[in-house]
Amino acid sequence: MSEILKVSGLVKRYKELIALDNVNLSVKEGEIFGLLGPNGSGKSTTINCVLSLLEFDKGEITIFGKNMAPKAYDIKKEIGVVPQEVAVYDTLTVYENIDFFCGLYIKDKKERAKCVQDAIDFVALNDFVKFRPKKLSGGLKRRLNIACGIAHKPKLIFFDEPTVAVDPQSRNKILEGIEQLRKSGATIVYTSHYMEEVEQLCDRILIIDKGHVIAEGTIDELKGMIKKSEIITIETAGLDEDVMGRINDLSNVFYSEYKNGVLKVEAGAGKHNVIDIVNILQDSGYSMKKIFSEQPTLNDVFLELTGKELRDD
Amino acid sequence: MFKYQLLKNIRNAGFLFWSLIFPLALMTAMYLSFGGVYNMMNSIDPIKAVVVTEDEGEFATGFQELVRSMADKDADEYYFDLSGNMNLEQAEESIKSGENKVLFVVKDNDIEIYLSNDHTSSAAIVSKAVADSYKNKYEIIREALSRDPKAAMAILEEASDIREYTQPNKGVFSGDPNMYSWYFYSSLVMGIFFNANGGTAIVSELKADVSCEAMRLSASPAKKGKLIVSSFLAYLVIAVVINMIQLVVMRNVFNISLGNDILKLILFVVAANIFSISFGIICGIIFRGTRDNRANKTTAVIMLSVFLSGEMINTLPGNFERICPIVNDINPATIMNMAFYRMALYNADLDFYTNMAKIAAVSLIFIIISAIILRREKYASL
Repeated sequence: MSEILKVSGLVKRYKELIALDNVNLSVKEGEIFGLLGPNGSGKSTTINCVLSLLEFDKGEITIFGKNMAPKAYDIKKEIGVVPQEVAVYDTLTVYENIDFFCGLYIKDKKERAKCVQDAIDFVALNDFVKFRPKKLSGGLKRRLNIACGIAHKPKLIFFDEPTVAVDPQSRNKILEGIEQLRKSGATIVYTSHYMEEVEQLCDRILIIDKGHVIAEGTIDELKGMIKKSEIITIETAGLDEDVMGRINDLSNVFYSEYKNGVLKVEAGAGKHNVIDIVNILQDSGYSMKKIFSEQPTLNDVFLELTGKELRDD
Repeated sequence: MFKYQLLKNIRNAGFLFWSLIFPLALMTAMYLSFGGVYNMMNSIDPIKAVVVTEDEGEFATGFQELVRSMADKDADEYYFDLSGNMNLEQAEESIKSGENKVLFVVKDNDIEIYLSNDHTSSAAIVSKAVADSYKNKYEIIREALSRDPKAAMAILEEASDIREYTQPNKGVFSGDPNMYSWYFYSSLVMGIFFNANGGTAIVSELKADVSCEAMRLSASPAKKGKLIVSSFLAYLVIAVVINMIQLVVMRNVFNISLGNDILKLILFVVAANIFSISFGIICGIIFRGTRDNRANKTTAVIMLSVFLSGEMINTLPGNFERICPIVNDINPATIMNMAFYRMALYNADLDFYTNMAKIAAVSLIFIIISAIILRREKYASL
């Protein structure tokens, strides 16, 4: 897969504040690349620098192998942007908005009409084409926002937190749509502070915090970076300290606690963690009601790498 | 792109309110308050008059010829509706019956004036002014009459104050300007000047730190210059259409004179709108803050300018003329207001070209400054 976007040594300062500190990233053709970080971490700043909306102090940005600049119109033609806020005109209808923004890229009327219709079909706004945005629900507005960004069929699409303040049904539709766009050949850069979305959608993820890149890789690679690889929860009654001691003595276990009849164990990488713990409990004559084994989440990754929770809402 | 820019503006309720509805509402309020009085004051009919000469001397024939020239119905302005030849007895009878309002009897190098019982004050004043001026300037008027009766009439008008009773003064701020018309033109200018908000909106819609739509525009391959020109033209077209509607209402509903040269008036409307929109662009660049912040600041500047031009207190420009004339000279609303007023009421060609040149020069300066600043802003200043 060829490299579609490359950012090297990106530095952005606002007077004394360093918003981006030596950010490096690389996006390959056909992948969904996630930019994950809490609010104010530098995700949108990175995107704005990449799109040449924001001047940066240091670094290099290449898209499709060419240097990105404010007047790089040939590169901009192939890019689609779905901003964080709904960026449409309230005085134009759904169709007119999509046609207007598509018209910035495609001059041919016939070709444009087809692209606009495809975009309307894609976001399922066919019943609302004559509506003004004010009359649309939050979810429908978000879908319109997406349609305006993708109608010209760009090769590289930036989604900047497209699901903020969206109901679960619309969120799923949006995520399905993004997956579909990838299938149709687009490369996608997706920023979010919702780890579940990123985990569900992205092939590779870059975690950013306070302008610093914390980690980059596939989900497995990121999870492999932390000690904790399995969280085991068992409901059992009256566990004594002896048994707890035996569980703690297991080589993979690095943390355990027993509260209100629930045993929680965090263990490192190992194939038999659950069996080993269950064996100890059975040997000691304890009966078990429910047993869960969970993989660590990106929040666990973020927590371990930065010492704080990723989610702030 | 242009089509959608037009649609955006046509459907922009705020823009339509301030540029179209608000000025029309003010005009309507003015008309309902003072329209009746104004129309009565301006309906000065030619004075029904008769001249009887009791000698055949040059003084008498000269006066007869002068009054005849002032009763020429083919002329732009005529003061008298002159009855045919009558002897003194018939003339006196016509005054008694009210058929004629003024009787001039010329005898022994003197003029006696007789008025009907139902004469108007303006008939009395104008008749007396004509007779007195003729007597005082007889030598000059007689000499002018031998060349051209109109020249003689001009001398008489100059020597007397009869124009004050028949039409507004030429000087806007001196004497007794026609404040009724001034108010209507002031409201029109306010509408034109409110179009400056369109200029400010153009800047806001292009700055990604001000509006999120601008982020899309800045990230697109559309060139900034093209976007500005298309938005500018869209605002200009709608602004001119709005002003045309206002002019039609002014003339047909409120009976305000638009002068004889409508083409020049339209040209000036276009020029004034170019000025206003470019002024709004400069405001949009200078002022900082959110989209609403910028629009509010531009509106405040417009309001101040319109206020100083006499929209609320119509004596203000006159006071400035006496105390600090530069305020009138640099206030865009006063310049535009004065231009419309003089063009419509006096058809002054020189004024038209001077004001057009003034407005065009300032617009050009604004446009050049805006282009330089906006071109230098390569990034979207997020």
